[in-house]
Amino acid sequence: MTSASTILKPPVAADHRDSLSTTLSRMLRNGGLMAAVVLYTLYSALPFLWIGTMSVRTTSEISANHFAWPETFHWEKFCIAWVDSNFAQYFWNSTLIVVSAVAIVTLLGAAAAHCLARYNFRGNRLVYFILFSSIVFPPQIILISLFQVLVEYDLYNSRLGLMIVYVSLQLPLTVYLLEGFFARIPQDLFDAAKMDGYSDFEIFWRIVLPVGMPAIATTIILNFIQLWNEFLFAVVLLSDQSARTLPIGIRAYMGDYFQDIGMIATGMMIAVIPVVVLYAFFSEKLIQGMTAGAVK
Amino acid sequence: MSDPSSGAAAAMRRTLASWLSAPEADSRRASLPTVMLFLAPALIVYAALTAYPVLRTFYNSFFNVADLASSEFVGWTHYAEVFKDKTFWAAVRNTAIWSVIGPVLDVVVGLLLALCLYAGVPFSRFLRVAWFTPVLLSYVVVGIMWVWIYNYDWGVVNGLLRAMGLGSWAQAWLGDPRFALGSLIVTHAWKWAGFNMVVCLAALHSLPSEVLEAAELDNCGWWHKLTDIIVPMLWPTLLNLYILAFIGKMKVFDLVWIMTEGGPVWSTETVSTYVYKRAFNWNTFDLGYPSAIAVVWFFVVVGFVVFFNVLFRRRERMEY
Repeated sequence: MTSASTILKPPVAADHRDSLSTTLSRMLRNGGLMAAVVLYTLYSALPFLWIGTMSVRTTSEISANHFAWPETFHWEKFCIAWVDSNFAQYFWNSTLIVVSAVAIVTLLGAAAAHCLARYNFRGNRLVYFILFSSIVFPPQIILISLFQVLVEYDLYNSRLGLMIVYVSLQLPLTVYLLEGFFARIPQDLFDAAKMDGYSDFEIFWRIVLPVGMPAIATTIILNFIQLWNEFLFAVVLLSDQSARTLPIGIRAYMGDYFQDIGMIATGMMIAVIPVVVLYAFFSEKLIQGMTAGAVK
Repeated sequence: MSDPSSGAAAAMRRTLASWLSAPEADSRRASLPTVMLFLAPALIVYAALTAYPVLRTFYNSFFNVADLASSEFVGWTHYAEVFKDKTFWAAVRNTAIWSVIGPVLDVVVGLLLALCLYAGVPFSRFLRVAWFTPVLLSYVVVGIMWVWIYNYDWGVVNGLLRAMGLGSWAQAWLGDPRFALGSLIVTHAWKWAGFNMVVCLAALHSLPSEVLEAAELDNCGWWHKLTDIIVPMLWPTLLNLYILAFIGKMKVFDLVWIMTEGGPVWSTETVSTYVYKRAFNWNTFDLGYPSAIAVVWFFVVVGFVVFFNVLFRRRERMEY
């Protein structure tokens, strides 16, 4: 145990971390903490693994034993869910709505953030405060009247309607994250560009967007995951089956076929896989975005 | 001058003045058309889909909005009704319990996990991913998963209790008013602990090394190191996390709606689910009354945000 933990410990720079890590790894070796770590890992990861195994088992197999490892992997369940249970429709609705909302909110948010970070004008901080403050609003304060507005403009129950609502939902966070980053781009870059005869718009398009790409990528991933998982606005603003997003589709499926837990699990995996893939590739960026502003 | 209230007023005037202040540096000056080129699209979206709906909810709250074509002015009737509404107060109570207890659970578990990773637990790279994964899952997935975990007949919780010979402790976790709210709080903490862990870990890594080295030289025990050094130094982060979680819990909807729809007998009703029910689920055909609840709750949440900001004199912005 001792040797294993020292061998497997990732290389740590010989700095201040050693002082703390020696005391804590001493505790690790005496087993108590290690047991807690193992237990918490089981608690945190097993439910997900459980759904994973259920997604490739048939419902009758699951009812026979809810926790068995799949004897044969029924990958065809993904095809059945995709085709017969309408998850393909929900998946494409989610993709269409979320991808276009993220694209638009990134562009609008970046433009506004650039303006607020770069230019001095009367009311700058006031506009920033107004745009940002809505992040604390409870969703119901806009939900009920958004429903009315969308009905009035024939956007209720349409993918376009939900898409523009998603743009407005993610706008404050996008402006907040990008403003902070854009404000750190050195002013010299802009002065030089101006001397080269760039217009204000060219500066934004050809300098801020490329230079700000790391931060923009962060907001894209964060916005994508939040909107992909969004439930409340979708459940209120969509009722038509053909417009449902994945979370609404899964929930509706659960309501109609609550006995068919095997197929529900398959649908859940379809919703989860894109997020997990994104996380696998961009975990650092996602975490940067999520922790921005929270670390003091 | 020594009067604190005049100091606060002066500070507020200064803040207002800085918001409205004229440009100072030349190269950063911009004409109105330039500013509008960048700002207008965002402002239009904000005005149409945030500001206008907020005002309209305020407006609605003074009417019976039976259908979209007709509405009838009722003045403050809805507000009077809200304060007499027993279900509303049950929802406030549940939301309050959740907002106070939930964040403690989130932050404490997050900090402990971060300390484990910081100390270099074996497989820490894998563990960080495993502990963070729940944050990525949607509430629908988390909710359905935990409905199954809490299932009376074959759920994991009762299964474990029975396996340990504690079968008499097995409960219908979501079906019993005594346990339903607690079960939801546990599920919510399960989802969010990983987020708090990641933030705490980032904060731990940014601690100045000298202090911990000095503590090491002084032969400081680990418990004292934790309570006398780490927690005080991380306090701003921990407080910030607590406030973030508190505000988030004031708005909690998705998980409750998916797992219990506020039941049994309003034991898990939150303000958000109650507003949703009254507006879209009860076929009462009145959007005015739920709007009034939404307005009341809006002022409660914004009030807490302002209160925290004043209390901790934080100029930093909060998420969620």
